[in-house]
Amino acid sequence: MAPKKLRRARLSQELCERLSRYQITTCQDFLCLSLLDLMKVTGQSYRNVQKLLCKVSLACAPKMQTAYEMKVRRAVNPSSAFLSTSLHGLDKVLHGGVPCGSLTEITSPPGCGKTQFCIMMSVLATLPVSMGGLDGAVIYIDTESAFSAERLVEIAGNRFPAYFDSDEKLFSMTRSIYLYRELTCGSVLKRIKSLEEEIISKKVKLIIIDSVASVVRKEFDTKLQGNLTERSNFLARGASLLKYLAEEFSIPVILTNQITTWLSNGLAIQADLVSPADDLCLSEGASGGGKRESGSVTAALGNTWSHSVNTRLILQYHDLPTRQILVAKSPVAPFSAFFYTVEKSGFVLQAKSISQANTDPGENTDCESSRLQEVITRSQREEKNLNCADQ
Amino acid sequence: MQRDVGSLPLAPALRARLVAAGFQTAQELLDTGPCGLSKEIGISKEEALEALQVVRQECHSDATQTAGAPGTSRKCTALELLEQEQAQGFIITFCSALDNILGGGVQLTKITEICGEPGVGKTQLCMQLAVDVQIPECFGGLAGEAVFIDTEGSFMVDRVVDVATACVQHCQLIAEAHQEEDHLKALETFSLESILSHIYYFRCRDYIELLAQVYLLPDFLSEHSKVRLVVIDGIAFPFRHDFEDLSLRTRLLNGLAQQLIIIANDHKAAVVLTNQMTTRIGQSQSTLVPALGESWGHAATVRLIFHWDNNQRLATLYKSPSQKESTIPYHITPHGFRDVQPPAVTQNPEGTELNPRKRPRREEEK
Repeated sequence: MAPKKLRRARLSQELCERLSRYQITTCQDFLCLSLLDLMKVTGQSYRNVQKLLCKVSLACAPKMQTAYEMKVRRAVNPSSAFLSTSLHGLDKVLHGGVPCGSLTEITSPPGCGKTQFCIMMSVLATLPVSMGGLDGAVIYIDTESAFSAERLVEIAGNRFPAYFDSDEKLFSMTRSIYLYRELTCGSVLKRIKSLEEEIISKKVKLIIIDSVASVVRKEFDTKLQGNLTERSNFLARGASLLKYLAEEFSIPVILTNQITTWLSNGLAIQADLVSPADDLCLSEGASGGGKRESGSVTAALGNTWSHSVNTRLILQYHDLPTRQILVAKSPVAPFSAFFYTVEKSGFVLQAKSISQANTDPGENTDCESSRLQEVITRSQREEKNLNCADQ
Repeated sequence: MQRDVGSLPLAPALRARLVAAGFQTAQELLDTGPCGLSKEIGISKEEALEALQVVRQECHSDATQTAGAPGTSRKCTALELLEQEQAQGFIITFCSALDNILGGGVQLTKITEICGEPGVGKTQLCMQLAVDVQIPECFGGLAGEAVFIDTEGSFMVDRVVDVATACVQHCQLIAEAHQEEDHLKALETFSLESILSHIYYFRCRDYIELLAQVYLLPDFLSEHSKVRLVVIDGIAFPFRHDFEDLSLRTRLLNGLAQQLIIIANDHKAAVVLTNQMTTRIGQSQSTLVPALGESWGHAATVRLIFHWDNNQRLATLYKSPSQKESTIPYHITPHGFRDVQPPAVTQNPEGTELNPRKRPRREEEK
């Protein structure tokens, strides 16, 4: 993904040489200059410079496709648009499961089951397509050393006893899960950069990073000024690399995040702030502020990160041992909540899960929804606090 | 004709030589002729001819501007503008409250910016607009096409299919109610397939691709002259990281804004941008403000801010040259972007609107 050299943009040799004298060698440098600068640097007239600009832009611009072509392409491969989570209610609401080609984030307080969910998804991705899997390998980047191979085998054996009836099947499943232990931000980024070739050679169909928050929060102390910009840069670069991989190969990417505490006096302790140096803006009175309570929880890593992920699932404690999974952000699904417990076979949805599909939280269509309303209000408030406060 | 040589769009080296040789006005150049010019400056006859052609073209366009020739002149009276504006259509959003506060819908030839927190519905509105711009004229739409430039990867074809299907059904209901010839004829071409085929999608992964695509847009729009909507979903995303030099970022953004304004005016298209929100940490509290800085706030003509209030999604019209600031609630349904409750006024005597959430058509539309 390095910037394209001008030579490959079909500019003439002498022009490229002349430009390189001004240190303009890539399309990036060329396009960042204003028209007057370009005239000075190329020594050509206005009209010619415009033609050159078109030529270079053609070399850099993306290809056009119509929405119809995209739909047709999806229709050809319907099963490959989502990875089913094997939780029926959740899959229905998400129109199939975890979407391929975009980033999905699982966030929760410690101990709710993020790693369990990730391990479960790893098993599912290795299953054949007929069983709802992607029949491929999994890359699991573990920053907390929380992955347990025994648990992986336990979940596989208990969830799909009919399929994993022999040791050989279990071994072949475990062989296709590639585990990387990365303990610093730099090594995580390096690993992500190297993934492109691995995905092709190992036929990877799922990338899991567990967890982004732990390694970032370990390394970037948010109280120090300079760290904030570096942190947002790291996160943004990681997010765009992962998005590129997800889209290029049409695979799902699952990331986990942590929850942090936000205190009511306006400035958070132990929480993640977004850098004020990131944007010089005036307050337009568009604060999503409103009432804030003391001790409410928000997802870590800041506002910018929330924009980068396309789907967000929140796990929460309910009445133990029951827990709750919320669909907090999704381009295809409305807000929904499901109850689950963590068992030997992984996640199990409870029968009493209530989900309000097909309507927006503001409408109450029946009386049962008052309970749901409470659930949704809480998740709304969290989602709002997630985004609008010092986090 | 009296134009100064230094202001002509020639190559800088040539310009410098002309000035050094003592030429002052464009008229002098034209009088000298190519042979004389080549001898005096020391350039080849072909180069001199080329330069003179450029000069002549510049002077010609200057002349038409000052003479006020019709068609090419750029100035007009406010009355003409008023007539133009009234005749112009809007792109409706299917949420009548939002259309009302915008004065009819998303305006053509203007840049509209939508800011909002993550997950509040910006991309949903963009997808809705990309479908709505294609509604045939007999149903009150613009019968246009849409360009969708995506920088965040949040465009979901399945969702556009849902929105488009709902829109087609809505038009079919109207056609059944009114039973007019042109309605039925229009419905033949207004189908899911045609809607999807007329949304031109570009996926730009970084700011270079975005810049390149915007440079190429005028040519694309000249080829596809029916395009009435350009959506850039996520103008903030590519500019918010990897930019050590903030002044470069400001310059690039300003350049982008200028190009978009030119595109909007020349091709009579509406430009819709979505922006992110960022936290601004003040003295004792923090507020959410649109990203990309203060100078970007001047780029858009109309600014909408989407936000949450407990359970309700709200849209605030924050900046507009003609409408006043107000806030309305809206919903995202499986059919797309909609009002919160059925609108109070329904002038439709037949009452064939089966879905009360959908906006009734106004009777006086042609």
